[in-house]
Amino acid sequence: MRQNPIVNAVVTVLWEKWVEFRFEWKKITASALVSPLLYLIALGWGLGSASAVTERPYIDFLVPGILALTTMNTSFSAVAQPLNVQRLFEHSFDHIIISPTPMPAYIFGQMLGGSLRGMYSGVLILLLSFPFGASMCLSPAFFLVMLLNGMTFGALGVMAAVLASTHADITRFSTFVILPMTFLCNTFFPLDRVPGAVQTLIRLLPLTHASGSLRSMAYGAAPSLLSLGVLALYAAAFLAVANLVVLRRKNL
Amino acid sequence: MIEICHVSKRYPQSGTNALDDVSLTIESGAFFGLLGPNGAGKTTLISILSTLLLPSAGEIRIDGETLGRRRGDIKRKLALITQHNSLRSDMTLDQIMELQGRLYGIPQERILRRREELLAFCALTGHRNKTVRRLSGGMKRKLMLCRALLTDPEILILDEPTIGLDPASRRQMWDLLRTLNRQGLTILLTTHYIEEAESLCQRVALIDQGRVARLDTPENLIRLLGPVAVDVFAGDHTQSAFFPDKEAALAYAGGRSEPILLRRTTLEDVFLTQVGRGLEAV
Repeated sequence: MRQNPIVNAVVTVLWEKWVEFRFEWKKITASALVSPLLYLIALGWGLGSASAVTERPYIDFLVPGILALTTMNTSFSAVAQPLNVQRLFEHSFDHIIISPTPMPAYIFGQMLGGSLRGMYSGVLILLLSFPFGASMCLSPAFFLVMLLNGMTFGALGVMAAVLASTHADITRFSTFVILPMTFLCNTFFPLDRVPGAVQTLIRLLPLTHASGSLRSMAYGAAPSLLSLGVLALYAAAFLAVANLVVLRRKNL
Repeated sequence: MIEICHVSKRYPQSGTNALDDVSLTIESGAFFGLLGPNGAGKTTLISILSTLLLPSAGEIRIDGETLGRRRGDIKRKLALITQHNSLRSDMTLDQIMELQGRLYGIPQERILRRREELLAFCALTGHRNKTVRRLSGGMKRKLMLCRALLTDPEILILDEPTIGLDPASRRQMWDLLRTLNRQGLTILLTTHYIEEAESLCQRVALIDQGRVARLDTPENLIRLLGPVAVDVFAGDHTQSAFFPDKEAALAYAGGRSEPILLRRTTLEDVFLTQVGRGLEAV
C-alpha cells in the first residue's frame, strides 16, 4: 500500500537531508559555528563588556540576534547550496522533477530539513553562549520561532537554487540579501537607533521579527503573535513562489 | 502509447528553434530510436518528454493523457536515463536506489527486494556501499539503469545510454536493453551511434534541424535507399552509390578504373545521405 504522497515527500526529503548530514557532519558542524563564534568573541567579549544598548548586559541582547542570524544562514545554505549543485552540476534534481513527488510537499520538506539544520546550529550556539555569560528564559515558543525562521529562509533557499543560472549566483544572492539582513535586522543593535524610513523598511523583513521575538522571549516576555504570524506568512509566501517557479519555469 | 503532437521548442535567448512541429507516435512495447547529429534536437525532445523542459507549442500524450509537471500519475509510468551522469555523488548505491524508491512512494520492503534484484542484474552488488564518486563510468551508467528500473516504469527513455562506454560495456548494455524490451518495456532511445540504433530499434526517426526527416524501420530506410552500396575511392575522398540489387551495383562498378568496395547498405548510409546532403537530396 502506498503512503500519502505528501507525507512521503516530506519524509523522503528529511531522510535525504539526514544522509547528507551523516556524510559530512563534522564539516557541517564546524563551518556552522565559525561565524557565530567570532561574533560572540568579538562583540560579546570584545565590545560587550564596554557597551550596553539596553539596561541589560550586551551579551543578553546579542545572543538572540546571533541565534536568529545563525538559523537564517544555516537553513538558507543547507537548502540553497546542495539544491543548486544538484540542479546545475550533478543534474540529480532532474530526477526530482521527473518523479511523481508533489512539488509543494518536496519544497516543504526542504524547508523543514533546512530549518532542522539551522536549529542544530542554533542549539550549539545557545550552549556555547552560556560560558560567555548569557542568561535567557527559554520556552517551547522560543524554539518555534527558530524553526519558523529557518523554514522561511529554507524556502528562500529553494527559490534561490532554482532561479540561479550559475553557482556564483547563490553567493551573490547571499551577498545582496542574506548579508545585509545579518547586520541590519535587529541583530547587533536596537532598531530605534536607525533613521525612520530605513527603520520601517527593516521592520518589514522576516529576520527582524525573528531576532526581536527571540530577544523579547529571552527577556521573559510572552511570544509575539504578530512576529509568529509574519514569519509564517513569509514562509508560506516563499513556498508558493518557489513552487510556482519550479512548475512554470520552461527550462529548469 | 506515446503521442508527440506538433511539439515545438524555441529558445528565445539564442533565437533558435530546437524543435519545429515534431509529431510522432510510439506504440506500447516498441523499441524506438531517435537519430540525429549533434544539436539536431534529440535531447530537447527527450527533456520535454520527461517534463524537464516545457514545449513552446504542442503537447505530449501518454496513453491518451496529456503530460505535465503536475501529472504525477503519468510521470509514474516514465523513467529517464540522461546523457550525463545524474547521480548524487555523496550517496552510496544503496542510498541512490532507496532515494528513488522513496520519491515514487514505493513501500520499503519492495524497495529492498527490487534493489537486490537490480543490483544483481547489473552486476553491481559488490559495490553497493561505495559512494558514486568512487564508481567507474560504466558502473555509473549501469546504476542509472538500475535506478530507472526500480520503479517498474512502462516507458524507459534513454538519452545516449552508451556514450563514453567501452565496447564490452556497450554490448552488455545492449543485451540488458533487449531483455527489458522483450519483457514488454517500451524503450525510446536517442543515439548518434548508428549501429546501436540499427542493432536495437524496431523503428527510427531521423531528426535534423529540429524536424523529423525520416521515420520508418531500419530495414525499410535501407531498402528505400538501396540495399547494396558501392564505395568508390577516388583520390582523397570516398563516393558511395546505392542500388536495388547486386547486379545493378556490379554494372555500375564494372566500368570504373578506381578501387571500389561492394557492400551491404547500412543505416549509417541512410543517415549520412539524409543529414550529410540535406533534406532536398533524399
